Amino acid sequence: MSPGPHIPDDDALAGEYVLGVLPLDARRAVEKRIAIDTEFASLVASWQTDLAHLDDAYQPEAPPQGVKARIDARLFAEAAKPAGGLWSSLAFWRGLAFAAIAVAAIGIFQTSLQGPADPVAAPSLVAELGAPGSSVGLVAALDPASGVFSITPAAFSPEDGKSLELWLVPGEGAPVSLGLVPGDGGQLVLTPDLTGRLSAGALLAISLEPVGGSPTGAPTGPVVLSGELGQK
Amino acid sequence: MSQPDLSDLIARTALGDRKSFSALYAGTSAKLFGVCLRILKDRAQAEDAVQEVYVRIWRRAGSFRVGQASAMAWLVTIARNQAIDMIRARQPATLEYDDAPDVADPDPDPEARAALSGEARRIEACLGELETDKAAAVVDAYVEGLSYQELAEKNSVPLNTMRTWLRRSLLKLRECLNR
Repeated sequence: MSPGPHIPDDDALAGEYVLGVLPLDARRAVEKRIAIDTEFASLVASWQTDLAHLDDAYQPEAPPQGVKARIDARLFAEAAKPAGGLWSSLAFWRGLAFAAIAVAAIGIFQTSLQGPADPVAAPSLVAELGAPGSSVGLVAALDPASGVFSITPAAFSPEDGKSLELWLVPGEGAPVSLGLVPGDGGQLVLTPDLTGRLSAGALLAISLEPVGGSPTGAPTGPVVLSGELGQK
Repeated sequence: MSQPDLSDLIARTALGDRKSFSALYAGTSAKLFGVCLRILKDRAQAEDAVQEVYVRIWRRAGSFRVGQASAMAWLVTIARNQAIDMIRARQPATLEYDDAPDVADPDPDPEARAALSGEARRIEACLGELETDKAAAVVDAYVEGLSYQELAEKNSVPLNTMRTWLRRSLLKLRECLNR
């Protein structure tokens, strides 16, 4: 490494990062660098200190009532989740890199989830899968009659060389694989046996696994998203 | 709320003191909501953002170091990062610009070096050394969270030109700030 000629580039890159002009993938790349390169991290810190004087431009405005209650619910209700097994590895959840996960807001898909399902069939079960500290997520909707899980948004995809695996996390016992989240989003068809194990209140989790899924039959990678099935 | 008070509340938050966290929220949420609103320009999204911001503050309070940054600057950085990540997530993840355009530039005007005001306002003095539109681009990028694409459109220049401009401006600023 010859640091000389790279210094201006690094200083400009650090400045670009602090300004915020970079696209998302470049921001994630810079953040990885900050974590491992203390010299570069100090360039970023210098820009943050210098540019912080521009913060005066932000006019204060009180957030709506109820925001604080929702924050507290998110932070302090977490302790109520069942302990043990997969859930004991909550440390995984912290600082997860969502680098390659293209995201869309949860919720806007819900109205279109039902698809052509028979209106007299059992009601769909829907889980909003998310992670603490992140606004990203996806929606998984199960039609219990057909065993078809529809997963949106379709743009959701893991980093290269990884697969996303969907798990049922029982109150007791080991997580049960429900299959791989299709690379193009779309649908996952469950066996009647698995479908029968899913009901309102079931906990679902998605872990990052080697291509093709967990080699052991149990989650081996970090849990990137989780959520509870509910009646739609 | 004074900076030492804020630092104290952050330190207590790091220890898991919910009362201090609530006091921190009461003292800073208007500013941080203002940051999210300015960047996201949408109230519902700004509400989502500010929730994420305080969840992060609760979790990361232990990484705040008094002396490294002012407490408010540290909080605003978290809010800016959250809001900018949210708008960038709606935009293309990559841009078709050349890698790191050449930033070599003639030496800055030596006469412009003269006028520097107080330490705290160095950034403004240094921005004053840039051409008006170049300085405005830096401020727009920072305050409004504009992307390269948006800056290029606003200034009616190609993306690559915009990036070269901004990187040169940053290096001039750094040179001035380090003087």
